[in-house]
Amino acid sequence: MRYLHLKKSNRLTTFRFISFYSAIALILFSLLGLFSRGINLGLDFTGGYLTEFISEQSVTQDKMQGLLTNYLPADFQLSSAENGTYWSVQQADNDISLKGKAWLTDFSQQSGLTITPQDAIYIGSQVGDELINQGGLALLAATIVILLYLSLRFEWRLAAGSVIALFHDVVIVLGLFAWLGLSFDLTILASLLAIIGYSLNDSIIIGDKVREIMKRNNENDVDNIINIAIKSTIVRTLITSGTTLATILAIWLFAGESLAGFSISLFSGVLVGTFSSIAISATVPQLLGLSADYYLKKEQDICQLP
Amino acid sequence: MMNSQATKHVKHAQWQNIVIIFILLFMIVSALPNLYSDTVSIHLISKNNSNNNHSQVENVSAQAINTLLTKHNLTVDKIKTSATSTVITLANNAEKEAIENLFVDTFNDNYSIKNAVENYTPLWLKSLGGESIKLGLDLSGGVLFVLDVDIEHALSDRLKSIALDVRTLAVENRIRLRKVSQPNDHAIDIDFSSLKSGGNEELLTILKKNYPELTQSNRGENKVRLSYSQQEQVVFRQEIMKQTLKTMRGRIEELGITEAVTQKQGKNRIRIELPGVHNPEEARRIIGATATLDFYQLAENPTAAGTIQMRDDNGRKLTMNGQVVFSGSNIKNARAGQDEMGSPMVNLTLDGNGGKKMSSFSKKNIGKPMVTVFSEFYRNAKDEMVKKSKVINVATIQQHLGSQFSITNMASSQSARELALLLRAGSLTAPVTIVKQRSIEATLGADNIDNGIKALAIGIGFTLLFMVFWYRTLGVIANISLVLNLVSLLGLMSLLPGVVLTLPGIAGLVLTVGMAVDSNVLIFERIKEELRRGRKVLSAVEIGYKSAFSTILDANITTMITGIILYSIGYGPVKGFAIILCLGILTSMFTGVFVSKSLTNLVIRENKVQLMGVKS
Repeated sequence: MRYLHLKKSNRLTTFRFISFYSAIALILFSLLGLFSRGINLGLDFTGGYLTEFISEQSVTQDKMQGLLTNYLPADFQLSSAENGTYWSVQQADNDISLKGKAWLTDFSQQSGLTITPQDAIYIGSQVGDELINQGGLALLAATIVILLYLSLRFEWRLAAGSVIALFHDVVIVLGLFAWLGLSFDLTILASLLAIIGYSLNDSIIIGDKVREIMKRNNENDVDNIINIAIKSTIVRTLITSGTTLATILAIWLFAGESLAGFSISLFSGVLVGTFSSIAISATVPQLLGLSADYYLKKEQDICQLP
Repeated sequence: MMNSQATKHVKHAQWQNIVIIFILLFMIVSALPNLYSDTVSIHLISKNNSNNNHSQVENVSAQAINTLLTKHNLTVDKIKTSATSTVITLANNAEKEAIENLFVDTFNDNYSIKNAVENYTPLWLKSLGGESIKLGLDLSGGVLFVLDVDIEHALSDRLKSIALDVRTLAVENRIRLRKVSQPNDHAIDIDFSSLKSGGNEELLTILKKNYPELTQSNRGENKVRLSYSQQEQVVFRQEIMKQTLKTMRGRIEELGITEAVTQKQGKNRIRIELPGVHNPEEARRIIGATATLDFYQLAENPTAAGTIQMRDDNGRKLTMNGQVVFSGSNIKNARAGQDEMGSPMVNLTLDGNGGKKMSSFSKKNIGKPMVTVFSEFYRNAKDEMVKKSKVINVATIQQHLGSQFSITNMASSQSARELALLLRAGSLTAPVTIVKQRSIEATLGADNIDNGIKALAIGIGFTLLFMVFWYRTLGVIANISLVLNLVSLLGLMSLLPGVVLTLPGIAGLVLTVGMAVDSNVLIFERIKEELRRGRKVLSAVEIGYKSAFSTILDANITTMITGIILYSIGYGPVKGFAIILCLGILTSMFTGVFVSKSLTNLVIRENKVQLMGVKS
């Protein structure tokens, strides 16, 4: 019985280490995507051309969207006002062939709509720079403060594990966006920060369990401690991830086109977040040399004080 | 002994329950106004009423209107005809204009068309002051402003003040100048020709030190030109734009619109999107006005050079020294208040530089008057920028003032508040005018809200079903607390000013719900674990809640940190998402831990044989 138990634990350890190395491979693969293909920044970040025009007839948004999709080669954002007669189209900076007002006359002839061009404005990329700086700053600040808080509450190796897991999750989602060429806009940035929160949540719960078992001092083997912690939290991890993934799936399927990117980012983030809480945040402390009697020693230190 | 402890425990629990019930009731009441939205109705009133000619113009039948609307692809909620008028209640407020225009075209000959906004919130709820959640630009529509920043004007103003400074420096250094002139918008000429022998190097060195951005060039004998090079003009423009953007954001925040998007557009334009603002006049006034406040010294010698003359409200002629003591850009904070006599005033706090200037100025001039000039820039009918200056106050300096002082004798507390608001939001050095203002409709918004609610309903439905299936009795408790969590979150969002719901916000809401069950799952798994270890049901529940709490706290605090940083650094949609994330953590901690604990205590009062399928 004892032997069997040990063997099972060992299997979990093997699984953990295999996962850990595949996580590293995934990170490398994502980084490769990030550096080779880069992130397809959305209009929020890049700036671009804003063309506004008035159509004589009132047209529904869907119809105009369809007409323009047929006409314009690249991605654009369309918004309407004044009962579907006032339109503004935002295009990214990269489709140089279609800047200015010239394309509108062409479009008017092709679609049979009577179109009066209004403003055509270039929205500078400085806008983008400002937002990128702010977004990057937010990510960095969040990471640092969280690392500090965790180091206060936990052993530093556990904290490091959580933060590396977090790095893993963010990089993989970014890598996914790079490989698939999905447009990265402000809602995706918001979802990245939600992923940070979620990833930490998962890591902390396992870390908390590890700490509890270490304090109870029944086990001397770090490997065993971590495996027990994972086993006793696995049901919770699966249920929470399951319900969260289900709600995200609901957004993906029913909340419309404008939240598709957001849902993809969150869905993949929660998925890899669950994976990394086992593969990374539980394994890294062990690799960093977490000792089973850390909390015991600490208590002894305190007791020795007169 | 045991008995008294038990009573104490019960009493404690009772107290807790009362507090919980009170908070929940408060949240539910706060959330209620969301059920009642504003409805717009259009009234068609027969014009011939007064002519005693009722029979001539009949009321349009409900069918006729309905057919007309369906033909134009418009839908309404309700059509009610009475003897004198027809009332059409709209289903979608965004279609108001379309329907109104249609009616004007069709019925204008015989009917007058009026619209009214009604809200069917019960009176008692209105009297409690409840409001519904504010919606962002993507959901509710709003106003778009495009502003033009007059960089040339700012540059010219800057040089004017440098020219004044040159004169002052010359007097201080006993150097006689013949003339200081401003040939164009980006240069000043200094004429030293009255200077017999050299000596101008001294002044030029000081100028070089004080104004390193200016290029000095010789223009003929004893004439020097100070000018902004092309490069320096670009730097100047970027600085002004940055400052203006910051000021605009400050002003919009003062209006209480957190979802506003303020972006630089092109070289010298700013684009501002204000969601939920349907009456743009207030925003227009605050954004459009470029208010600068300058403090001048009353000139002792009215005929001296470099003075400016103005009249105050009473028509009194005032002559002031041209050099400002300090200006609006030195103002750190301005707040409306009242003095001991109850008369309104504005309390000002200056920055270090302004404080120094004020201190040295007031020390030398106690008992002398100081003039406060309030200038506003606006565009006149000919589209020219006009500066309108007004003396708002002539105050006698009563004492040696520092960086904090007050402007008293304000006309009313209203004007004190408005002045404080404009000053606080920052003072612009460049005049700004609104070149474009457009209302954005929320045709997309209605769809977005519907889709969001649909996604929310499906997500919650799945979660509720799963929890009951997995945890049985405790699952029901978790579900009740989940629903209460959602209600509390809606209540809190309605309650707090500055919380605006956007599309990412709806997503945040859905995500919060998905994650909210986490607290309950943690607790219940813990209880299961304790039961397996052989504890009795009651003590397993007690320990389960207690020991899971620290885990929940740690996990939520870190998410909260992320949310707060997100809120303080990001803006626009990121901010809206962050608010909901943070509020969601607060409410899910409250309902997931405290409410469900009370419910569990209520349901499980004795040691059952088994709980959640685990025998104890």
